[in-house]
Amino acid sequence: MNWKTVYLIVNANRKAYRTIPSAKLRRYYENKLTVYGEYILFCVIGILIGYLVGNFYSASNATLQTTILDGATYVFVSIPTIALLYGVIFTLINKAQQIGIKISAQPIYWFPISWQEHTLASIITSLIGAPLAITLLISSAILTASVFVGLIPLALLTVLALAVSLLLSSVTTEALKILQTRLLGAVTKVAGRGAIYLRLAIMISTMLAFYIIYFVIYSLVYNHGSPIFLFETIANGQKMLWFIPYVWPGMILSTFTNNLGIGTVSFFLATLVLIAGIFFIATYTNTRFGLYELPTIRLSGRTYTPKISLLEKMGFSSIEAALMKKDYKTIIRRPELGVLFVFPIMILVSGFIPFLSGAQSDQSMLLDTIMFFAMITLFPSMWVAGFLGSMLTGLEGSSVWYLFSSPISAKVIVKSKFFFTVFCSLVALLLCGVIGSVIFRPTLLYVAVVLFEAIFLIVTISTVSVAIGIKGADFRGNFPYNRAIKRKESWLHVLMCIATGLGVVAPIVPYVLGLLGSNGMALFPAILIPGYYAYFGLFMSGIIATITTYIFYKIALDNAEQMLAKPETI
Amino acid sequence: MQYTTKTISSQAPALQLKSVSKKFNDITAIDNLTLEIKKGEIIGLLGPNGAGKSTLIKTILGLVKPDSGSIKVLEFSVPQDTVLVKQHVGYVPEHSSAYEFLTGIEFLDFAGDIFQMEQEEKKKRINEFLKALNLEGREGDMISSYSGGMKKKILIISALMHKPELLLLDEPLNTLDPKSARIIKNLIQQLSQQNVTTIIATHILEIAEAVCSRIAIMYEGKLLALGTMDELRQQAKMPNSGLEDIFLKLTGTEDVQLLVEELTK
Repeated sequence: MNWKTVYLIVNANRKAYRTIPSAKLRRYYENKLTVYGEYILFCVIGILIGYLVGNFYSASNATLQTTILDGATYVFVSIPTIALLYGVIFTLINKAQQIGIKISAQPIYWFPISWQEHTLASIITSLIGAPLAITLLISSAILTASVFVGLIPLALLTVLALAVSLLLSSVTTEALKILQTRLLGAVTKVAGRGAIYLRLAIMISTMLAFYIIYFVIYSLVYNHGSPIFLFETIANGQKMLWFIPYVWPGMILSTFTNNLGIGTVSFFLATLVLIAGIFFIATYTNTRFGLYELPTIRLSGRTYTPKISLLEKMGFSSIEAALMKKDYKTIIRRPELGVLFVFPIMILVSGFIPFLSGAQSDQSMLLDTIMFFAMITLFPSMWVAGFLGSMLTGLEGSSVWYLFSSPISAKVIVKSKFFFTVFCSLVALLLCGVIGSVIFRPTLLYVAVVLFEAIFLIVTISTVSVAIGIKGADFRGNFPYNRAIKRKESWLHVLMCIATGLGVVAPIVPYVLGLLGSNGMALFPAILIPGYYAYFGLFMSGIIATITTYIFYKIALDNAEQMLAKPETI
Repeated sequence: MQYTTKTISSQAPALQLKSVSKKFNDITAIDNLTLEIKKGEIIGLLGPNGAGKSTLIKTILGLVKPDSGSIKVLEFSVPQDTVLVKQHVGYVPEHSSAYEFLTGIEFLDFAGDIFQMEQEEKKKRINEFLKALNLEGREGDMISSYSGGMKKKILIISALMHKPELLLLDEPLNTLDPKSARIIKNLIQQLSQQNVTTIIATHILEIAEAVCSRIAIMYEGKLLALGTMDELRQQAKMPNSGLEDIFLKLTGTEDVQLLVEELTK
């Protein structure tokens, strides 16, 4: 194993993932602050959290200190298992995104690199980004807090167990990677055209499985009102399930807190042997099957018959319809876009949380109806509008040359992206609105208010997102995956969506507060809002949405014209 | 959107470039280039790597904005009327690929719609090209599964199917099999008789010699020579030489043997 080669591959992969500050790539120098800045920031936040917790502990009385100490021990002991969970999620997503990549087209496979080096580099690369940042945050927080609490040896061992746990998660998903690829290949071969939808369904189900775990955890905390209960459950659970190798990093700490020195060493060594064993399996499977290329997805073998699409019948030109049809195929065929469908389903699932918490008073049921109905009706469609609007242009990727070299005007681009985003968001609104109405049975007026507000928000956020998405489009290829929007514009997009969204709903807020107040909600003032205010609020929201949409539509047109005028700067 | 239609005079040149220059930072990609091409001509654009051939083609299409000079394509000004220009042009880029998540037929259908072709005409043209270029049976597969040559064929079909008046082809025959390359070469010559103008950037000198009515040699952004084979021979003062020798002499890279000897030391 040549460690320098591993380092070089990891570094090349890291660079492939990075966002770029501008399109002018000539003489690009990497700013170290942008490379390490986010990790430093997470460390600083972690130290701050640790410092605050530590100070709180120091200022507490003896009884509270004992409670905190017990809680801290549970937290420390359960952290490796929690790390394993998020490690598996992030590395699995990371590796799933690479499944469709044509391996024989990647230079690192032409070079004299052994499969051991490839495997190790892939394991490490998968941990860069979110898993590393979260780990640094947790580690710096517990190390700082341990100084005040007096648990320094346990904290140091926790950090070590955390690192081991992360490595275990990544090495496991690496071993499973080729299985994922093979499974997908088999599905593709058998399913033909259906493979597209089957692949999408598999992607969504996998992600949903993790969200369901999240909701189970959430409801555990929600029902017991204390996050310590969660840590206690994990800590006790892993003691019972000690024979499952994946809880061994947690068992290192469990045995340590119980002064079982031999147990600590044994579990530590056993975990290292386990990692080495899985690494051996991963290397073997990669060596044996690593150069497997996914079989071709055959979508049609039938005679080609062009037809007038529904969009053209609705009055869109053939160019606009063609662009929208292509965008539709983009979102259903690219595995990394599964998240578009997952989030709305996740919000819907979260709508059931009030029912998981058992019997409720009439008042809290009313609060749930008002809040959760609005949430599951508004958020999914807003998510679709924001996600698609901002990403659609960048998702053209390196094939954007076709838009540049074809007779397509800025107006056509903006119109097609805007209407496609609005249509998809309306579908999400319709589905979620119907489900929300069935679950919560709100009043007709409230349904109307939420639906109109949703439409205003969809139109506004779609325009804002398309405008910023065009301005900040990132067209760099598809490896490892297309970021679609540059970092600066991505933040600007989030801020603008929040600002314009709040602006649109602002006029209706007094109506909702009045509704909550008049039903005796203690948190809200019992302000008397006349019945007709809902109509006035909606009217005002509509005006604000129209003005905002008009302004951003113009901005989108300007941005698209600039983009088409200077393709060489992209 | 419907295209603005404008009658194009049959006497007007297909392409006029006057004193066009383009710099990328300190690199001059096009240096004060003036060129006029008549309708139906096939111009071979030759030059070493980095000579500015691809940039020139992109500038003609409006993909690169010139720093100075004027460009007219079929009487339309570039970059002012780029949408109109693109309506009449078929372009094959050197490297870029088509949308990988579409099938070959879906991409061609998409291209036909972009160029607002009639449904029946689109179907007829696509099927003819697929058959001619041996892609029948693979049109329903994802483009991501195609070989380099198949991807190139799809791009060539998308450039030719809407019957453009000007063809801008950047290394179009690279990676094509001999039969497909022959079909494309013959097609360009046939189209020339129907007044379709072609600019073909290539490194394959045999193609330029066999297909092109005139040959332009570019070097460091400058147009070193433009003419028929005989005119180039006269210009290079090499009456009995082939294009390769003329090219090497004009571009100042004739000391090939010396370089080879250096490398093999």
